[in-house]
Amino acid sequence: MGTCCCKNQPDSGADDDIIIDRREIEFISGTVTEDGLKSSALSNLTDKYVLDTLAVIRTLVDNDQDPPPSMLKLHSIADKEAGWLVVVRSMVQVIPLTDPLGPAVITLLLDDCPLPSKETVVHLCKFFDLSGESASESWKNPQLHRNICVVLGCIAERLAGPASIALLTNTTLEYLIAHLNEDNHPCVILFALIALEKFAQTSENKTSISKRLGHDPTNPLRTLEGWMSHSDYVHRQVGFCAQWCLDNLFICDGRPYSYENVDTQHLNAMLNSNDVSEYLKISPDGLQARCDASSFESVRCTFQVDEGVWYYEATIITAGVMQIGWATKDSKFLNHEGYGIGDDEVSVAYDGCRQLFWHSAQSQSHIHPSWKPGDILGSLLDLNNAQVIFYLNGDPLPPLTHVFSNAMRGFFAAASFMSFQQCEFNFGRKPFLHPPKDIPFQSFNDHAQLKDAEKIILPRHIRLQKLRAMSVEEGACTLCFDESATIVFLPCSHRGFCERCSLQLEICPMCRRHIKERQKVEEKLSVKEDVT
Amino acid sequence: MAAGLPRRIIKETQRLMAEPVPGISAVPDETNARYFHVVVAGPEGSPFEGGVFKLELFLPEEYPMSAPKVRFMTKIYHPNIDKLGRICLDILKDKWSPALQIRTVLLSIQALLSAPNPDDPLANDVAELWKVNESEAIRIAREWTRTYAMGN
Repeated sequence: MGTCCCKNQPDSGADDDIIIDRREIEFISGTVTEDGLKSSALSNLTDKYVLDTLAVIRTLVDNDQDPPPSMLKLHSIADKEAGWLVVVRSMVQVIPLTDPLGPAVITLLLDDCPLPSKETVVHLCKFFDLSGESASESWKNPQLHRNICVVLGCIAERLAGPASIALLTNTTLEYLIAHLNEDNHPCVILFALIALEKFAQTSENKTSISKRLGHDPTNPLRTLEGWMSHSDYVHRQVGFCAQWCLDNLFICDGRPYSYENVDTQHLNAMLNSNDVSEYLKISPDGLQARCDASSFESVRCTFQVDEGVWYYEATIITAGVMQIGWATKDSKFLNHEGYGIGDDEVSVAYDGCRQLFWHSAQSQSHIHPSWKPGDILGSLLDLNNAQVIFYLNGDPLPPLTHVFSNAMRGFFAAASFMSFQQCEFNFGRKPFLHPPKDIPFQSFNDHAQLKDAEKIILPRHIRLQKLRAMSVEEGACTLCFDESATIVFLPCSHRGFCERCSLQLEICPMCRRHIKERQKVEEKLSVKEDVT
Repeated sequence: MAAGLPRRIIKETQRLMAEPVPGISAVPDETNARYFHVVVAGPEGSPFEGGVFKLELFLPEEYPMSAPKVRFMTKIYHPNIDKLGRICLDILKDKWSPALQIRTVLLSIQALLSAPNPDDPLANDVAELWKVNESEAIRIAREWTRTYAMGN
């Protein structure tokens, strides 16, 4: 199960022992002054709550579970504007660079805190001393700057609209752009990039960022997108995000879209760009997916399996929460509720961060160590013996069988991603790195087929344009609107239906009279529209 | 994302957005374009007046050859709607026709709120009371409307 562990947060007044003493709150409010924060006692306390939350978050597995006390305390501190600043400052200073859940925890905490006012946000930017110059010093303290970027991205997303425009001042913009220098710590580059992406959700910002990126002799994103297949996994994330931004947000003249250049030869199975929750990013070759939203995003593969034994691998690029495994078409992607693969009775998933299996939204621990970037998760579906086996770098876990009491066929490789998580799938186009030795299996790529048009993953804006342009032909079937209405029913003489729909009907949809005959009428000449 | 959807669904969605039905809002879910979040205002002059009723509507794979699945999410005291929000309405069952649409289905549901039909009940105890003591049934329906369908 996914992100939210605080949807059912009790009223702050409901439980006395998690409430901060009133005097403590006044103390907080009184100690944040124009020139910064003075109360070291309170800061220490908040720091501790932040670290406690980070430590406990990976043990939260149930959406109905109460949030941990440390998190509730942070919420009650952040309830007042001054307190909000204290919490943000703490997160920025203490969340370590190395914790795979660090940025996700910042997002999670900020998402559940009240929205800051514009004044508070402006105050925050001053407090952090954001500018091109301060960014150029970021190598001294990458942790601090990475966290600032995460916070900025989060606020930009939540305040999308006029407040987000006010927040992206020239200095903030310079601060973020300066981070994109390739000599910077890749973690800082990554989250500066993501922050820019979130600011660009407001179109005025998108325009000013695009303009600013075009100022430099070489657009820094063009350099960074070259890291797409870098051997270091943080660099690779930067490459992915830079490429995604260039294809989807900050389009530059003269650069072809990545999908136009992608090699789709021998690519017979990929992530299905029509079967994915809304915020998941899929690479142009359809084999990598990444989530930068605060929701729990999911995707299924294009190829369905109904019998036999099948295997695929996923290269773990980020070590946070992902649930990778098998699902049917009945598995719903409830990204905002935090439900994904493994959270219903017809799917099963492996979660290498929290060391769990998932099925029916119930978890069960396993003995593998936590995964790390570069690990290979192998996933075997054996429909002959009704079992699923997960392997980490070739090391198998005991078979799972429970999913098969609810579904025996119609499975798809599928995965869900928490914020800032990414992995790369191999459905058999490349040799597997740790194929199961004792069980003969098949790969999707050897048995699936995709038409050339199906292999194209269009950037979102182009896809939306096409959708909008889609219109209905004159004389189309009144039931499906896909084909021409060529049939008249007898004896009632109602018309307006295509052949395919007609054959599925026994009574006339208009008058409910029994259809005795389906007669073809003369087909009208119609201009085919150019949308596929 | 709506891509990959049957054109029929896209067209119906576009029209629902462009020309909404008075007293009804139907918004496709952001992640699943076959799933609609529906809100129906209790019709004037009915015991449901002033209430705002949430429903979910799902278009199954076979749509429009089979009917949409519709369910009340807001609790309602009505002889043709049961505790789980399931609706007893012929056009959602054997009287479905592919010429009907999301729009017509929602209009029918709105009409069902105006004219409960206790002779074709889904909620037996409710229908019973509706037949034996209509004014008491209407009083309870009003009370439920106030309790569950107002102010959220």
